[in-house]
Formats: sequence, C-alpha cells, structure tokens
Amino acid sequence: MSNQTLSPDTVQKQKFSLLSLLMRKRTLMMLLLFFVILVIFAVLSEGRSLDPRNLMNILNMMAVSAFLTQGVALLMISGKLDLSTGANGTLCGMFLAFVLREGVPLFPAILLALCVGVLFGLVNAALVNELNMAPFIATLATSLIGTGFVIMIAQNRIIPIRDTTMHWFGSHMLLGFRNFPGVPVSALLAFLLMTIIGILLHMTKFGRQIYLVGGNPQASMLCGINPKKMSYILFIICGLFSSAAGITLVARLQSANMQGLVAQRFQGITAAVLGGIILGGGSGGMLGAFVGLLVLNTFSNGMTVMGIGPGWHHVASGGLLVFALSLEFLQKKQAEKTVA
Amino acid sequence: MGDILEFKNICKSYPGVRALQDVSFSAKSGNVLALLGENGAGKSTLLRILSGDVSPNSGKITINGEEQIYSAPNDAIKMGISVISQERQLVPSLTVMENIFPGAQPKTKLGTIDKKKLRSESNAIIDKFAMPIDPDDLVGRLSVAHQQMVEIMKAYRRNSRIIAFDEPTAPLTESEINVLFGLIDQLKAEGKIIIYVSHRLAEIFQVTDEIVVLKDGLLVSQLTTSQTNENELIKAMIGRDLGDTYANLKRNDQIGDVILEVKDLNTNKLKDVSFTIRKGEVLGFAGLIGAGRTEVARAVFGADMISSGEIHFDGKKVTFKEPKDAIKAGIALCPEDRKDQGLLLFRTIRENVTMPILSRIKSGLFLNKKLERELTEEAVRQYTIRTPSINKITRELSGGNQQKVILGRWTNSRNSTKLLILDEPTKGIDVGTKAEIYQLVCDLAKSGLAVIFISSELTEVINVADRIIVMQNGQITGTVMREEATEENVLSLAMLV
Repeated sequence: MSNQTLSPDTVQKQKFSLLSLLMRKRTLMMLLLFFVILVIFAVLSEGRSLDPRNLMNILNMMAVSAFLTQGVALLMISGKLDLSTGANGTLCGMFLAFVLREGVPLFPAILLALCVGVLFGLVNAALVNELNMAPFIATLATSLIGTGFVIMIAQNRIIPIRDTTMHWFGSHMLLGFRNFPGVPVSALLAFLLMTIIGILLHMTKFGRQIYLVGGNPQASMLCGINPKKMSYILFIICGLFSSAAGITLVARLQSANMQGLVAQRFQGITAAVLGGIILGGGSGGMLGAFVGLLVLNTFSNGMTVMGIGPGWHHVASGGLLVFALSLEFLQKKQAEKTVA
Repeated sequence: MGDILEFKNICKSYPGVRALQDVSFSAKSGNVLALLGENGAGKSTLLRILSGDVSPNSGKITINGEEQIYSAPNDAIKMGISVISQERQLVPSLTVMENIFPGAQPKTKLGTIDKKKLRSESNAIIDKFAMPIDPDDLVGRLSVAHQQMVEIMKAYRRNSRIIAFDEPTAPLTESEINVLFGLIDQLKAEGKIIIYVSHRLAEIFQVTDEIVVLKDGLLVSQLTTSQTNENELIKAMIGRDLGDTYANLKRNDQIGDVILEVKDLNTNKLKDVSFTIRKGEVLGFAGLIGAGRTEVARAVFGADMISSGEIHFDGKKVTFKEPKDAIKAGIALCPEDRKDQGLLLFRTIRENVTMPILSRIKSGLFLNKKLERELTEEAVRQYTIRTPSINKITRELSGGNQQKVILGRWTNSRNSTKLLILDEPTKGIDVGTKAEIYQLVCDLAKSGLAVIFISSELTEVINVADRIIVMQNGQITGTVMREEATEENVLSLAMLV
C-alpha cells in the first residue's frame, strides 16, 4: 500500500475507496439478483409475469412498502430499529377510516392519522432515550399496544372508506401509455419521496449526521452532535412514514381491516437489510433500500403469478434475508482480509 | 519441596507494540512476588499469558520444570493457576457457595446439587479465612471487598498452587486492605506461589518478598523487597531515552492571558479540582490510570455532570450542558480511546475530519463537497497524514495517522478552537510519530492555542508540557514546572499518599 502523503494525482483515485466500492457492489449485486428473478419468473410463467398489468401490480404493491422502508431505513442507518411500523401503519389506517366515517373532513382526518404516527415515534424515542430500553424491545412493546388499539377500534368489522380523494390517491393511474395502465399516484409519491430523501441523505448536514451517529454515537457526541435529539427526530420520521404506509393501504383497499399491514410489517426492515443497510448503523443508503424493495416485491409477485401460496412468500422472504446477510458476512470477511 | 513457577524468555508483540521482550524470572512457593512497572510496562500482558488468555509469540511457562501448554480456557485452572483480575469473574445472581464451587458442586444420588454438603463445605472455607460472609448470600449484594474474598476462596477451593492478584487493593478501603493482606499471608503460609501486581509502593513493601520491575516490556531488575527502597524502585521504573527528541522541540515561549479557569470542580469522580491554563501554554496532566485526568477533561468539555464548581472560559463564566456548547465556545477534546470515542472507523478520513464543522461547510441547504475536500486535504497536508486518498476509511490507517485525523478535526482553518484537550494522544503510537505529535503540540501552542496534554507516560508529559499537574484519586496532588520536573518528583506525587 502506498505510504505517501496526499498528492494531486492520488486525489484522482479517491472515488474508488474500498468500502464504497463494496457497497456499490452490494447494490449492483442486488440489482443483478432483481433481473435474475425477473427473468426466471418470466420464463417459468411463460411471459405472464411481464404483462404490463402485472408490472403495474408490482408497483402498486411497492407503494405501501416503499413508505415503510424509507422511514425505517433512516432509523437503521442511525443505528436504531423500529419493529412497530406495521402496527403503527395499521392503526393509522384504521383510525383514518374511523374518523372519516364519523364525518371528519379528509384533510384534518389525515392530519389526525399522521399525529398517531408521530405519537408512535415519540413514545418509541422516549422509551429508548429516557428509559434506556433497547429499540428492539421498546418498539416490540409499542407494536403490541398499537395492535391492541386496532382490535378495539375495528371490533372485527371492516370500515369502508367512501372518500373519492382517497380512492384517487389509492388507485388512480398516472403516466400510462398503450396497454400499460400507469403508476398509481401513491406509488409515485412514495418513490418521489424516496428519491428526495436519498438525495438529502447524501447532500445535507442532517443526512451526514445520521451516518455519523450510526457510525459512532460516542464520537459524534464529542463532536457536538446530539445523538438523543437525532434519535427523537428519526423515530418520529419513521412513525410518520409508517402512517403514510397505512393511509396508502386503506386508500387502495377503500376500506380498513384488522389485518392491515400485518403481512408487510417486516418488509421495511427486510428491504433495507437486503439493500445493504447493516443493523449496526452507519452505512447503506436509499438506492440500496429501493433495490432491496424491488427484489422483495418482484420475488413475491412472481410467486403469486405462479400460483404459489402466500405461505411460501414468507418462507421466500426469510430465505432472501438469510442470503443477504450471508453476503454481508462474506463482505466483512473480505474487508478484513484486505486490511490485514 | 515447594513449587517453582518459571517464566522463560517470554516475548509478545501486538501490531506496532512490543508488549514483552524476553522476560524470564521465577517465583517460589511460600513467596509473594511483586510485578511493578508503569502503565503499559507489560504487567497485565504477563498475567494474561499466565492465565492462558493470551499466548506468547515465543517463550514458555513451566511449573516445577514442566512446560505448561494452554489449549483450552480451562487449562490454567487445571494447572492450578488462578488469576484474580480487576474485573470480577463471579456470577452476581448466584449465591456465594455456588460461586465458590462453579461446575464442581457436590451431587446427591439423584444427580441434583447437594445443597447441604455444598453449604457445609463452603462454610469450612469461609471459616478458615474467618470471613463475615454467609454461603447463601447473593454475590451481587456483597461489597466489592467481599466479592474479591469470594474470588480468593474460589481459587483456594480449586487448590490453586499459583494465585496472581492484579491491582487487588484498587477498590478497597484501608481496613479491607488489611484483611486482604491477612489472607495473603495465610495463603503464603500454606506454600502457595503468589504474584502481586500493584502501583502502590507502600503495599509492595508490606506484603511482598521479591520484586520484578518491568519497563517497556523488558525486565529491568529483580530485587529482594527487604533490600531495596522506594527511591531505588522508582528509578528502576523510569528512565527511557527520548532525550534528543525533547531537546529538539521548538517550543512556544510566548504565553498569554488565562483562557480557562477551573474552580473547586467536583463530580462523582473528582474532588475540589482547581487550575488555570493560559493561551499558548501546554499544561500536562500526569497521574496513574484512574487518577481522574480524563474525568477533568470530560467535565470541562460538558460530557460529564458537574456537581459543584465554576468554570471560566475566555473571560466568561460558563456552564456547558453538552459538548456542543463547549465546542461552540472554542474547546476541543481528542478523547483517550481513539477507537471507541474518537473515530468512525468505517467512514472516510474526509467524513471524520469534518465532523464538528459540518455547519460551517454548508452552502444553503447542502454540504459544500468541494470545500469539504479542500479542508480535508489541508488537514492531511498540515499533519502529514500518510494516506493515498482522503476517502480511505480510517480503520485502515495506522494508530499514528488515526490520531492525526482526530487532531485535524479540530485545528483546521474553519474551526475556532482556543483550548485543545488531548487525552493520551500518543497511546499505542510508534516513537517516530510520537515525536511528530510532540512538535505538533508545540506548533499549536505557538499559534496561541492552549493545550491540555494528558498522558500516562511520565517522560513524555514532563518533557512536552510547560507545567505539569499531578493527580491521584480524583484530586490534584501538586503542580510542577517543566524546569523542576523530574520523573521522581512527579511519580511520587502520583503514587505516594
């Protein structure tokens, strides 16, 4: 290895630093996996999986999980975790349907639902920061509590939503052409936000601080960053995105039911991990999380098209996760080798 | 007829550091042998080799001439070696008797633990040492001293031939120390080999028979306790040769106004700490590990709670609620543990250097990456950080370069640092880089910065600092000017009561 001080010609090489190359490789690897999955299912289903309607289906499915993913991804980069996103989203969706039925106009109703999300984040952050609870346990607890409220509000019924704006948000298609029906408004919004957040994460002070706190909270504190404040903000952001996911879901279904986001509750974390956000915090990014999301959703959609039962979807998601974490392990081993 | 433990040509090195170099000595049964040396002299490494935690690069340990080979963690115990380290190896949620008999409890015919027998056997041991402990007490509820006694009884129960103590008196009160010494005498009378590691000279004269002095991983002398004195020991412990480096330092001779004044500072670890430091001054903090130097730094920096006392900085009375406030006022801290508190090991040099100045390299909403690059390159040049790129992750740098990255964080042109606190800045760094860092410290002082220089290496602190504050047990025990400082007078302020 070179032992020279920085000179102009070595500056040129900086873009190829080891870790960023590996991280990029990780995203690339996942992208590759995405195409492999796409091709395999296309062949197996004799082209049915590539039908424009089906592609639209994938995007539709992704809207909800894209909201779930971006909040939890930010939190995970900062070294924390939130298991309550599913319960939070389900409760917000249910709450929204409930207040709409009670006659509250749409705009305040949505604000109220988002407040529930903020409250979730606030409670999670308080448990973690004030009572020093492990995020895993704290958010598990709030998740149970949230689910309890869902059951109490729903009382085993489905609450229909008749608001037309909600229908538009959930199912209206934009950007359609020829026989491709387009992308749902909600999915567009989710992807747009994901792009913006991805850019902010890399370009702003706050974004950088998320990485710093995740990389070493002690050192960050000694450099004048307040890890506690960061953790509050990020838990609240995560709560907000979870409620956005819940609202999107009920908008698409045009009703709220108790099942809500139960099936998708770990999709955010799974996608983030698949995309290279390590659980310890401090690395990964939105692009990776998006690719992780793509992999996850094409895979489960492919299985649906093949008529494979939902039980196998979960098995497959678990398998993917194991696969991704083995990659992480191998990557770390590789990194250690190059250092030694 | 007694046992003999021998260390033969033990060598151990870690990356960049030779912890032990060709150390040979022997210990006899019925004798207490002291291991003495400064921080980092190699005492702990030696004990860890004895307990099998660490294997030496070369050399061997023999008992009665027979080489001991460690292959499993339990081997030291099987060989009859017990090392009582500073960290307790007890299970706090279990009772005293369960701790004395770990994994060797007497069983009933049904295979369950025979509590009655366990209790009576434990009682026999407890009575032998006349301890006021009940075998049914939970270990977690015992005082630190009694927990230590339980460890000793555990070692005794195993019939250990060799018992090593690592700084056993550090957490004990005076009367507890006397009880411990009584115990050691008893073990000695039973023909055990005892190895005793301590910083406290008075104790060494009280309990030991022989003394082995280590310095920088070398055995410098082996003495009989009754034939030596404190001065001889202190002389043996010190005296390294970096003389030219220090003589060649270009120091700052223009010392300005007082920048920081600390008055009667108290925290849960510090007692009535008062001192001042002036612009352009390098103020050394000497003392043993745990003397409270780091705590002073953290308290001034707003990282630890202050229970009482006043801090005046730059002419104003200040109270820092968090490090952020201290940084804003112009104080910077380079913490003692580079890996835990200093660096983000998996992020780049660039991201590490700009950590505290992110708000200053913003243009509008976004970070100015070009400015960030320029500032990092400036730090790399100024501190001659050896790296092919500013985007190298810091884990891949040497210790010295890592330290320079931390220094670079605080002293670039976008920072308004007025007081720089360096906590053990040369720990684990090779001699060449150490010399560079000393000169950097002097250069920073020349530019008008006040520098607090905390170090456990005596030679270094008395040669680099203009004035040296010596601490012991959370209190300042004296202040010495560089011209009058000798290792002897500083060490005696740090060690003697």
